Amino acid sequence: MSTIPGQVRLSWQDPVTGEQRTPLLTCPIAFGREFARMPAELNNQRVARIVLNSSQVSRYHTLIEWVQGHIRITDQNSSNGTWVNGVLQSSCNVSNGDLLKIGPYEITLMFTLDGTGLPTAEASEQSIIQVPEPDSPVPAEPVAAPANVLPPAFQAHQVVVQDLYATRLSVEEIDYLAVGAGLGSFIWVDFLRIFGAAPQQIRALGIEDRPYARYQRLCLNSQIPPHERLRSNSDSCPDNIWGWPGYALREAWQEFNKGKLNPALQYLWQVFAEPTFAQTYTPRAGNVFASIDREAIRIGWPQIYRFGRVRAIRQTNDGRYAIAYSPGRKQTAFVIARHVHLATGYPVLQFLPDLKAYREQTRDFKSVVNAYEDHNHVYETLERQGGTVVLRGRGIVASRIIQRIHEARHRNPNISILHLMRSPKPKGNRFRKAQRPVDNHFEFQPFNWPKACWGGTLREELEQATPDQRTNLLADWGGTTTADRQDWKVIVQQGLDQGWYQITFGEVTRVVPNTQSRPTTYIQEKGPRGEIKLEADFIIDATGLDSKVKASPLLNDLVTHYNLPLNPAGRLAVANDFELLEMRNQNGRMYGAGAITFGGPYAAVDSFLGLQYTALRAVDGLVTARAPNLRRLNGIGSFWQWLRWAQNQTP
Amino acid sequence: MTPTLLGRWQTRILLMETVGLVITLLFGGGFLGNPEGSVYFWLLQYIIVFGLGWDYLYIQIQNFRWDQDWPAALQWLAAIWEAIFIVLLVEVLGIELPLIPASDWQLGWFIVHYGFVWVGVFIASQSLMRLMFPRWRFRGGQWL
Repeated sequence: MSTIPGQVRLSWQDPVTGEQRTPLLTCPIAFGREFARMPAELNNQRVARIVLNSSQVSRYHTLIEWVQGHIRITDQNSSNGTWVNGVLQSSCNVSNGDLLKIGPYEITLMFTLDGTGLPTAEASEQSIIQVPEPDSPVPAEPVAAPANVLPPAFQAHQVVVQDLYATRLSVEEIDYLAVGAGLGSFIWVDFLRIFGAAPQQIRALGIEDRPYARYQRLCLNSQIPPHERLRSNSDSCPDNIWGWPGYALREAWQEFNKGKLNPALQYLWQVFAEPTFAQTYTPRAGNVFASIDREAIRIGWPQIYRFGRVRAIRQTNDGRYAIAYSPGRKQTAFVIARHVHLATGYPVLQFLPDLKAYREQTRDFKSVVNAYEDHNHVYETLERQGGTVVLRGRGIVASRIIQRIHEARHRNPNISILHLMRSPKPKGNRFRKAQRPVDNHFEFQPFNWPKACWGGTLREELEQATPDQRTNLLADWGGTTTADRQDWKVIVQQGLDQGWYQITFGEVTRVVPNTQSRPTTYIQEKGPRGEIKLEADFIIDATGLDSKVKASPLLNDLVTHYNLPLNPAGRLAVANDFELLEMRNQNGRMYGAGAITFGGPYAAVDSFLGLQYTALRAVDGLVTARAPNLRRLNGIGSFWQWLRWAQNQTP
Repeated sequence: MTPTLLGRWQTRILLMETVGLVITLLFGGGFLGNPEGSVYFWLLQYIIVFGLGWDYLYIQIQNFRWDQDWPAALQWLAAIWEAIFIVLLVEVLGIELPLIPASDWQLGWFIVHYGFVWVGVFIASQSLMRLMFPRWRFRGGQWL
């Protein structure tokens, strides 16, 4: 495709959602925080106006123009300035591949002065793949399907309960229904049980009986075996709603009982001094799963869980909700519930568009992999015959993969990593008086959000903000970060010094097989070097998970059928207590939790502690709505329930 | 800990006036072999009132921290500073605080009393508060 002069391909990663944005625009192009503050026309030319959400971005920040055969950038007296290749600029000409930094946004500019040969790759919204699932007797539906597999009764706005009984299919009536049966569901059910609901009042529908099954699979795929540590806090305990004793205290106690005083004291020191004077404590994956197993038995989860792939959700005409699900191949059954909780998790994996295209063209699913897929063959092959890995993404998963390859190098030293990053990272995000630390182009933060997002000043601020302000705050606090782990820093520094680990910056233009069918990455470097190519045996995409509701057939059907609003991040819009207000049905309440609600009143929705916060707000909401058998838990009653937890007695 | 200002105030007042008060009453009765009297009670009130001001300062410092958090280690440093401040007022500047006659002030017993109160309050804030108030940790230390 040829392009006209003055056309620029912009490319950046959205700091809120992590999505890749690559629009092709014609100059003049304006950037700012408020659409209306940017000019609609300049010199009789229509202006392409790009809204960048962040408090670090001015209302009208920067303009890109085509002036006498050059692309020129002019800062519009912005408060935080326009940076080109790391240098503050008020006005300057730019070259192909230059990096424009506006607040937390890092935008690569690609263009040719005569308008030919511009890279045409455009990230499509479809650049996703399914989250790996276990072998299941009931397959997932394609996105468009539900309508034709559903009974006619489900075409109505509100389902008539008698119509469901008339189908002669199985119908069950229940007070509380959790859709998903993963960690989000489990934590909500844990609160329900402790607040007074009985196991026979609750049903959880999902496709795996252990609530952490999917989470654990993603951990294993991304190279976190049971003895490795999760990126989670000591007192983020999915098995304990109070967060006490935390995992650090429990692990210290275990070690102490084995007669090992040193590690015990080290864990206690970590939780005492983290993150300022000690490395943040994080629990071992295996310990977390074992604790969930114990709590699952205590609250009667085996009695509550049912296998079933949920197909559709409707309101009923008597103030409840009807759920159609498949308990087996070509079977349909219904649950009618007073209150419903949706926690279906991440529907899809984000996959870099150029890598997805490579796989589709070559049908080679072994050389180019996503970090969340099972890709052990990569390490096995590397350990056997050595090789080069191109790593994309610089988050926590990338760090863990570097550690895994470092381990593989003990068996075979002929392994090297080319870490491909879009841009250098000399400085971390700023938010008011604070700045995030950076080392070797990795940005550090103990968890995936600043800590105060869970229960401090930042949580309060986000909840009180308007939807637009929320997007700004999330952009300021967001971005890709990794944990400040001493072992990881040492490995990276060693790798850089010894040369087996290298960092390359640039914008990928295409990934194609070379003559030996190895994936070759072409990248656009800024400056005169132009295009360079990286050959590798494997490419690992460690850029992340995606949770757009449109990617889930179930949620897409719900949103379409009831015309539900989405928040600015494209996820379900929820109230501050996580109720889907538009789904309220007389006394019936529906709540959301987890990744599907990201972009709303709470940042850390997809964390253990975030799920507990969400569940607490939702169950408090149900108490206010006088839901059956629930009473508000506080004071002595709460302490009493904790004593029952401590003695492993049913709530 | 990721406290808010309101959370700091509420937690300080609650724990000082319950856990701290019980320990103070033991001191007031002279149960540790110390001279008995009301001075411990009034010292506790001074610690609380000055603390409300210190909490405002701590929140300002917290804003410079990217995570806007307040680790237990900083809680301890802050507690030590608060004790030093009172000692400075009385011992160095020689200020006689109302209701605390100079004759009743004894530096040694102040340190013992303050130490017991603070450790009691700290342990309660790390355990009992969470168990009795499940929303406390999500609301920056607000229990009301």
